[in-house]
Amino acid sequence: MSLLSIQDISCGYFEGIDILHDVSMDVGEGSFTGIIGPNGAGKSTLLKTIFGFLTYRDGEILFIDEKIRDLSPFQIKKLGISYIPQGINNFPHMTVRENLLLGAWTFKGDKDRMRRGLERVYDIFPVISSKRNHKAEFLSGGEAKILSIAKEMISSPRLLLVDEPSAGLAPKIVSYVYEFLRRSHEGGTTILLVDQNINQAIENSEYLYMLEMGSVSLEGSSQMFKEKLKEIIRDSLIGA
Amino acid sequence: MDSLLLSQYLIAGLVIGIIYALMAIGITFIYSIMKMINWSMGEFYMMGSYLQYFLVVYILGPHLWFVGIPISMAVIFFVGLYIQRFLLKPMFVGEMERKDEYATVITIAMMVFFRNLAVVLAGPNQFAPPDYASPTYIGPLPVSGNRFVALVGTLLILGLFYLVVRNTWVGRALRGSAQNRVGIQTAGVNVLRVDQIAFGIGVSLAAAAGALLAPIFLVWPENGAVATMKGFEIIVIGGLGSIPGSLVAGLLLGLVESMGSVLISPSFKDVYGFGLVLFLLAIRPTGLFGERQRVA
Ligand SMILES: Nc1ncnc2c1ncn2[C@@H]1O[C@H](COP(=O)(O)OP(=O)(O)OP(=O)(O)O)[C@@H](O)[C@H]1O
Ligand SMILES: [Mg+2]
Repeated sequence: MSLLSIQDISCGYFEGIDILHDVSMDVGEGSFTGIIGPNGAGKSTLLKTIFGFLTYRDGEILFIDEKIRDLSPFQIKKLGISYIPQGINNFPHMTVRENLLLGAWTFKGDKDRMRRGLERVYDIFPVISSKRNHKAEFLSGGEAKILSIAKEMISSPRLLLVDEPSAGLAPKIVSYVYEFLRRSHEGGTTILLVDQNINQAIENSEYLYMLEMGSVSLEGSSQMFKEKLKEIIRDSLIGA
Repeated sequence: MDSLLLSQYLIAGLVIGIIYALMAIGITFIYSIMKMINWSMGEFYMMGSYLQYFLVVYILGPHLWFVGIPISMAVIFFVGLYIQRFLLKPMFVGEMERKDEYATVITIAMMVFFRNLAVVLAGPNQFAPPDYASPTYIGPLPVSGNRFVALVGTLLILGLFYLVVRNTWVGRALRGSAQNRVGIQTAGVNVLRVDQIAFGIGVSLAAAAGALLAPIFLVWPENGAVATMKGFEIIVIGGLGSIPGSLVAGLLLGLVESMGSVLISPSFKDVYGFGLVLFLLAIRPTGLFGERQRVA
């Protein structure tokens, strides 16, 4: 069954200038789907569009058969989608705990669920658990990234959109982050991962899409991508 | 110079300073969330003062002035919500591109509109509500009852503001929106609703200043102009976007004006404040507590 269905969407940041052209993708319930592609291909733009930061001009996006056109990010979040943007995305002058509490905004009335959510996140990420009363601005780069991830995970999303989770992080943190994504996937979370790290993307995903200049240029199983890896890397280096 | 007189001016300066700070905190608070300067802040001060005058003179009676202040604040809070919803919010919806410059221009139009509306509705005259309290003492120092009330009222309102922003969910969302506008949306908060609430709270602080100061600075269509000007002076001194900066700078401005008046001459009161602004611009252009750089 398809959890997220992207059907021929075209959109961009300004009227008359489309970044994405007739992009279609299918993200199955419980799947781990990867998107790769060169710089400027429109990978981040696609995730922003799914999460409601951008409206699409043409086509349709369905989440469990509901059209998400005209929904704002806060409404998309309520549907059970979380979005982990590229880089660090937390509240620097608030404590780790307060950051996580804001992540629990959509169910702030449910004290019990909130307590469980906090415990779960502290459990998964002991690094931030020991710093729960520290201000986010005083965390290291890796810890700040982990907080940015934890903040979006506390709501136990059905679908997780992840944009370049490894960019700019130390190797140890990178493997920690991928390990976490794999475990969330095993736990039942559907994952849509955008990554420039082609090896990691192919390693972790079951199915992949390659975006080039705003269009899907290749799609297939990770097995297929593995076999074509050499060509893909050569092409993406040339930027063709 | 005798020390009793000096300390009297000192207190007067602190009192007026903290009320100026109330205006500045409102401006800075709205700016830090909407990234928009509300040039019509003084007009919300003006509306607060008219509302308070109306309530005290026609409905509540002179003894219930303290009931009028929260009512004025609440009414202007809702007026702010609606104004934000219909005039400012349309500038912020859609795409990720921000149009806060347009919103800023609208607040300038609102300034002109509300001043003239006040002239049309109530005439160009000055009104004075009855005194809130008779003269009293802080320790051995005599102070005007109205000023004392304004001081206590401002401290209560600032305390309440602090508690709301620190300890409530709305407060957390307000702080989050100021710190990371993308992050507050990925958390699932309706950021446009937060903008609306921030605007409502900000203008209700101005209304509180107007209502508290009504018996001192009176009620007339342009009475907010001075308050706005002082508010912006404080923001230059304290740093745009900093609430502690507004508080400290407000007190500082009040003190400088008051000390200048007693030590040099009261006729140049406004000049001392400007002197302080110029001095600060020269040595620390970002203000006392301002961020060193403004991103985007
Ligand atoms: N906020 C914006 N406003 C206007 N144009 C934008 C904006 N963000 C991205 N673009 C443009 O959209 C195109 C696609 O950008 P996008 O960020 O989606 O690429 P990407 O595939 O994520 O690349 P990268 O691998 O470098 O992150 C680029 O041409 C970029 O210049
Ligand atoms: Mg990108």
